[in-house]
Amino acid sequence: MSNNHSNQTQCNEVLTALILFIDNEISDAAQARSLEVHFQECQPCCQEMEHERQVLATMRTLLNNECREEAPQELNERIAAQTALLAAQMGSGGQFVTEYRHTQTTTVYNDGVSEVRIEETHIEIETNNENGPQFPFF
Amino acid sequence: MSSEIEVRKTHSPAELLASETAAERGARFAADAMQYTSQLYSAALRYTKNSHDAQDLVQDTYAKAFTSFHQFEPGTNLKAWLYRILTTTFINTYRKDQRRPQISDGELEDWQIFEASSHTSDQGKSAEDEVLENMPEGDIKKALGEIPEEFRLAVFYADVEGYSYKEIAEILGIPSGTVMSRLHRGRKLLRELLMDYAKDRGYGKDLKEVTSSKKGGEK
Repeated sequence: MSNNHSNQTQCNEVLTALILFIDNEISDAAQARSLEVHFQECQPCCQEMEHERQVLATMRTLLNNECREEAPQELNERIAAQTALLAAQMGSGGQFVTEYRHTQTTTVYNDGVSEVRIEETHIEIETNNENGPQFPFF
Repeated sequence: MSSEIEVRKTHSPAELLASETAAERGARFAADAMQYTSQLYSAALRYTKNSHDAQDLVQDTYAKAFTSFHQFEPGTNLKAWLYRILTTTFINTYRKDQRRPQISDGELEDWQIFEASSHTSDQGKSAEDEVLENMPEGDIKKALGEIPEEFRLAVFYADVEGYSYKEIAEILGIPSGTVMSRLHRGRKLLRELLMDYAKDRGYGKDLKEVTSSKKGGEK
């Protein structure tokens, strides 16, 4: 009886973490491992997880088939014209980039067996016109 | 095990972007950002729910993005940056007019989110599978449009765009924990609606069990 109860508690915990598990959002490796162990040992939880995973995959397919609308040609044209207009206003306002700082940092960790490279890019830009162009839209 | 750390810094010539004229920025913007109009439009439809407003929202977003383009850090995720602008533009211009009450704000408690966490029956599972596999075209889009905006957007960014909780949190300007609870609720509501549609068509007699246990979550 008490064994059954503790199983129940564990199942509740597993089911609570199910969405995180399916979304690959569990960053704690030990927690991910303990969930995998539980799925191997507990058939109802394993079936639940597989069902949830299957439903999510199907829903994602359906959503991707129906909710990826193409931008109307008219919209693309409006945006292109707007960009040209804003660029022209910006040009006449004399706004240029006056400062440009680009820092690239490469850190190499080498322990003699393997090498890890971490690259970071940092860019800072300043212009000579803080006000910018007037928005026709806001 | 001796480890060796080498740090190297390079500074590229300032002329690169310093000489960028408005026309050149326009060209750079067109080359980099214009490829995402369809994705932005799809997201905008989830916010406004009609094509006319969605087009205006995307156009406004691109205006804002262009004038702030110098703030965008090259090499980072431009599409996510555009989505963030889309979100703030929607909140600042569209929602302001509507004065619509927030349906749910802030995080839900864990016990609220997972109150229905229990094993579902095999019968319920297979009935749900059957409905999803035979889903007529248009159902999921309709259902997505019917769930509350906060949940709809979480589902869109996670399940159409495939973003992580952290990325969605940045786009929507909310904590990751809130993303998780909205996503959880959103998917659940979506599933309930799809089952309801199927039931209304007289499809699937075993569905009562699937949906009835999940009702009543909305407060």
